[in-house]
Amino acid sequence: MNDKAVVVKGLTKIFPRVKAVDDVSFTVDEKGIFGLLGPNGAGKTTIIRMLLTLTKPTSGGIDIFGINALSHAARVRQITGYVPQGVSVDGELSGYENVAMYSRLYGVPGSERGQRIRDILRYLGLQNRAGDLTDTYSGGMMRRLEIAQALVNRPKILFLDEPSIGLDPAAQMALWELIRRARDEFDVTILLTTHDMNEADILCDRIGIMNRGKLIVTDEPSRLKSTMGGDVLTISSTTPCCADKLKELGYSVTSNFTEGQFDILVSNGERSIPHLLESLNEAGVKVQSVSIKKPTLDDVFLKYTGTRIEEGSSWDETRQVRRTFRRLTE
Amino acid sequence: MNLKRYLSIVFTITEFELRKLRHDPSQIGLRLVQPVLWLVVFGGVFTRIRAIPTGDYSYLQFITPGVLAQSVLFVSIFYGIAVVWERDLGLLDKLLATPAPRSAIVLGKALSAGVRSILQAVAIITLALIIGVDITLTPLSVLGVFAIIILFGICFSSLSMGIASIFRTRERVMGIGQAITMPLFFASNAIYPISLMPDWLKAISIVNPLSYVVDAMRGLLVTGDLSSLPLDILAIFIAAAVLVVLTSFSFRRLLS
Repeated sequence: MNDKAVVVKGLTKIFPRVKAVDDVSFTVDEKGIFGLLGPNGAGKTTIIRMLLTLTKPTSGGIDIFGINALSHAARVRQITGYVPQGVSVDGELSGYENVAMYSRLYGVPGSERGQRIRDILRYLGLQNRAGDLTDTYSGGMMRRLEIAQALVNRPKILFLDEPSIGLDPAAQMALWELIRRARDEFDVTILLTTHDMNEADILCDRIGIMNRGKLIVTDEPSRLKSTMGGDVLTISSTTPCCADKLKELGYSVTSNFTEGQFDILVSNGERSIPHLLESLNEAGVKVQSVSIKKPTLDDVFLKYTGTRIEEGSSWDETRQVRRTFRRLTE
Repeated sequence: MNLKRYLSIVFTITEFELRKLRHDPSQIGLRLVQPVLWLVVFGGVFTRIRAIPTGDYSYLQFITPGVLAQSVLFVSIFYGIAVVWERDLGLLDKLLATPAPRSAIVLGKALSAGVRSILQAVAIITLALIIGVDITLTPLSVLGVFAIIILFGICFSSLSMGIASIFRTRERVMGIGQAITMPLFFASNAIYPISLMPDWLKAISIVNPLSYVVDAMRGLLVTGDLSSLPLDILAIFIAAAVLVVLTSFSFRRLLS
């Protein structure tokens, strides 16, 4: 257990009307980036809040770097940093003041405080705007400032709740790069939540897929994708009985609802296409087009939960966060 | 956590709350509208008609401490709205995830409301001097008034945060604040002496912290009679301490 940053066992949280987190167990490696992936309401944020000692679990155990979070909340708070989902910079204070306040609340020694604040602001590219009120910042800058606030204490573990929600794609990419660099630079373990498959895939070393309070599977993104069994080739053909011909040739045909299109599962798409086309040609099947699709975490999610991540609610949430950004910048 | 670290957290919270004010000083100006009305219009008229017997002192002298206390009450009683706002934005989540004890956060914020009230008081005292109210300004009386205002600000801003932690929305905190300020004001000695009140109102005024605040400030600024000052300060101090402690316990309820 020495190199585990987080050990969660049988964690359960029951709110008056809903079981938000249902018997969840997982571990996070030190200096890893672990992502809890799932739709809104899956219980991700509740888990983070329990790990941060903001919410008391109904049952279960949490160890953060060997410290029992239930009995030693203050010690856990001292070694954690937190970037909540909403906008949590104070628009009425400057960037420097926002970081300075947290450096003092965490008890960063006075002798190194000024230097540390300047260093972290420079590291996050905010040094030129440090004196400006943060309600003049862009969404991406606010998020970077929040990370500065969380890192100024040099925490051992950083919790990021939906870090890129509300950001435009360019700012998202920049943020992902920054999070990866920060992990190496500050030797910090990162636990984040996301409903964005792409974010989880690019950013995380390990992913836990959550749905309705349960943790369904935990593994590396590449291994999760390889459990899908390979690539999907979609063939369109007007030849009758094409599906039967494909089955005769030994391919596993899965359903495709569009008429005249057939999905088949192969282990290596690129290498399979020439052989497939030859065989079909010999069998007298005329093929109009072939497309190849690599498995994504979306497919993995679908496989394990039987549903897709509901885009509707997440869009709604994005809109809400955008609104807060706007309210702050007006 | 030792006392030094605890106080350092309290003062950090206070300092940054006050820094926000520096960025937007217009708030103080807006809050002067009501006191100006009370002093210049209400005070002016009642001084002229001598409707309320205030002994050896003019009515304007009599109500200046009352208006001071009322304006501090107004600054503090709506303080909880700001806390609900911070909760909505996620600022409070982050604050409560730091090692800062809840009571230090509550006390720090309450203290900032007290200090903020001093700026308000300075403006009102200046106004009183401009319109020619005869008040005693010695280093002792000014320091005494400031100390009382800080305690009083802590008292009602923590009450407001306590209300916020129970009722949880800005609208309700606003509504409750409005519902209790005027009764507190009228059931005190702020604009008329307690001796004029019917018995039932006298009974309320005795448990009303506002009466003790006005009495203390009136002694310091107008009458020079400090015989009840220790009791006044003790009463305000106890009210503030109790409210800070109670609010610290319920503060968590703002989350979840």
